[in-house]
Amino acid sequence: MLRPVGVTDGMLKVAIVGCGKIADSHASQIQWIEGCEIVGVCDREPLMAEQLAARFPVKRHFTDLTALLEEARPDVVHITTPAETHFDIARFCLEQGCHVYVEKPFTLYAQQAQRLVDLAERKGVKLTVGHNDQFSHVARRMRALVQSGYLGGDPVHLESYYSYDLGDPSYARALLGDKHHWVRRLPGKLLQNVISHGIARIAEFLTTDAPHVIAHGFVSPILKQINESEIVDELRVIISEEERTTAYFTFSSQLRPSIHQLRIYGPKNGLVLDQDHEILIRLRGQKFKSYADIFIPPAQLAKQHLGNLVTNARLFLRRDFHVDSGMKYLIESFYRSIREGTPVPIPYREILLTTRIMEAIFDQLRASRLQGRMESQDRELPLGTIAPEVKQ
Amino acid sequence: MSFSGTNIAHPKSVAPPQDDFIIGPDDRILITGAAGFIGSRVVQCLLDRGFRNLVCLVRPSSDVAGIEAMIDRRPPGARIEVLKGNLLSREDCETASKDVALIFHLAAGIGEKSYPDAFLNSVVATRNLLDACLEWACLRRFVLVSSFTVYSNCRKPHGRLLDESCPIEERPELRGEAYCFAKVKQEQVVEKYGKNRGIPYVVVRPGSVYGAGTSEITGRVGIVTFGPFLHLGGSNVIPFTYVDNCAEATVLAGLVKGVDGEAFNVVDDDLPSGRQFLRFYKKNAKRFKSIYVPHLISYAFCYLWERYSLWSHGQLPPVFNRKRWHAEWKKTRYSNEKLKTKLGWAPKVPTAEGMRRYVEACGGNGRNA
Repeated sequence: MLRPVGVTDGMLKVAIVGCGKIADSHASQIQWIEGCEIVGVCDREPLMAEQLAARFPVKRHFTDLTALLEEARPDVVHITTPAETHFDIARFCLEQGCHVYVEKPFTLYAQQAQRLVDLAERKGVKLTVGHNDQFSHVARRMRALVQSGYLGGDPVHLESYYSYDLGDPSYARALLGDKHHWVRRLPGKLLQNVISHGIARIAEFLTTDAPHVIAHGFVSPILKQINESEIVDELRVIISEEERTTAYFTFSSQLRPSIHQLRIYGPKNGLVLDQDHEILIRLRGQKFKSYADIFIPPAQLAKQHLGNLVTNARLFLRRDFHVDSGMKYLIESFYRSIREGTPVPIPYREILLTTRIMEAIFDQLRASRLQGRMESQDRELPLGTIAPEVKQ
Repeated sequence: MSFSGTNIAHPKSVAPPQDDFIIGPDDRILITGAAGFIGSRVVQCLLDRGFRNLVCLVRPSSDVAGIEAMIDRRPPGARIEVLKGNLLSREDCETASKDVALIFHLAAGIGEKSYPDAFLNSVVATRNLLDACLEWACLRRFVLVSSFTVYSNCRKPHGRLLDESCPIEERPELRGEAYCFAKVKQEQVVEKYGKNRGIPYVVVRPGSVYGAGTSEITGRVGIVTFGPFLHLGGSNVIPFTYVDNCAEATVLAGLVKGVDGEAFNVVDDDLPSGRQFLRFYKKNAKRFKSIYVPHLISYAFCYLWERYSLWSHGQLPPVFNRKRWHAEWKKTRYSNEKLKTKLGWAPKVPTAEGMRRYVEACGGNGRNA
């Protein structure tokens, strides 16, 4: 069932596969994007497909992927199914000549990611991943500053923080209470489903394809108290390129306040991106003389915070400050790249590097867990660390 | 405490004799959501009525201490089986519904903000359970515990009176509440299985269920979304039902002959207004500041919010809208007449006593009741 690539009548035909929670976000953004229509949604559970079609302007709903592609003939397919199915569904859609947007995490393994990218290039179709945090207003402002040379050179060091509140009842309770939850079947379990946003922030600024990764993870005391031993919810990672850029990644379910931040330091200046409050702060490398250095910088910081407030208020009044504004921007950019043949919003290199770093982390956690099990016969040890290179 | 009787007059109720029940004391009864607020009382109520073969289905993460306590003090000869399972698993549904003559289906996605989550845990779960019942072909009644939220509270045939003849929300997706959407769709699934697959069913729609174990004030009285407590109920009657009374009504809906395909609203007698309840709560349970919002203002607010949400393409989600205002904050009267005449229900716990127990459990002393 090979189909011609491209948009023939000007209207981009979109399909969504998987009608769970995240599919709602996709549908609610797509419905406001001009020049596209949702021609079909698909879920193995017919009731789930029906409910999504009932709440959004969706032409048809399906329970079979082949039927969706043959009958609705979408140009683009959004894959919003559980992560373990991403690879097979994406591969099938690419083979049928569809452009594909895969929700995060892109694939379970780096090799699968590489195969999808190769297939997309061979078929002449486009591919992206749902790293929508990368396209929030504040992330775009930060990217523009970095590209303008604000850092004064290549990044020297990055720190990415990604918190996850396990108290969030809808997801965490389902995960912790259900020993058969699909997240538990992922190689990286909870981490695999949530850390890609934080890792992608680092991957964007790395230049080599094989950074050095050292990972240390453990089950938090809170989870241990409720007899949870499988879900690693505390993770610290060091990522480094040979004598160049280094990065720390912190994932935590216990850290308060719960934060989603990127700190990036260059040879001249630095930047702090606070995703939760949509704040971007410039850290100037310049020093002031004598006591001026303890009075002027606080005033400058206060001015910057005020500037962020004004910017956010302006965006809100312009009705451009939606919860999923990053997703809308990413989808619009992806559709534009399909229509106009421009580069994809997330370079394939960045997608692959994110997947490789994640795989290296999970490999190490698995190895240290096995090592811990062997040693725990004699005494209880904290999970150790092993530091292999990222596999290419 | 005495709350004036602001709902309609009711005939004297008479509890039906055991002969009028569709099952005997040894028939197997399944209660889903048995560890929940209403579910645990339903189990106790069935034991009190002499039913001796109960299956309690609870989530794997549920606290079953309450059920275990009931098992410890169960009457001689009574058997309570506790099954930990998930209604999204067809195998679990089949195991739970095996040889069951009566199902009280209380498990639902409560408090879910996400439409798909609420839908999955209410509608898909219910469909799975109904399919499992068809496999065993021994079910005599399926009792769905729904909610007042399904009513649109518009175009009512008897003016301000809300009863079982009032229309159900036709476009629940526009209410801005995942729970409402899921409950309306859940009732539709049960009705469909009743009509097309011959499953006998009864729908129970409780109003605002209260009692020891809940401390939140129903949104019909007011909300705290914006910080201070906004008192929206005013002089509206609040459709309270004490949890034990609600459980009793649910049990009767499952047992009494000749009510298949019916729906029953559950509200108590002598209902207080929002203002009376709030005054009582502040006096006896917890003091806090509240701001009264007149109905005209709350309606205008809902209208403007709805318009802005549409205009801004959902920058503010449409959680306040005219449909919700009609359903929750419009002046309405309630009836429990059908419940009394057809099921012989009467509230075991008077509202004054229920309120006293409630505020006591909230940390108050109930002395001013």
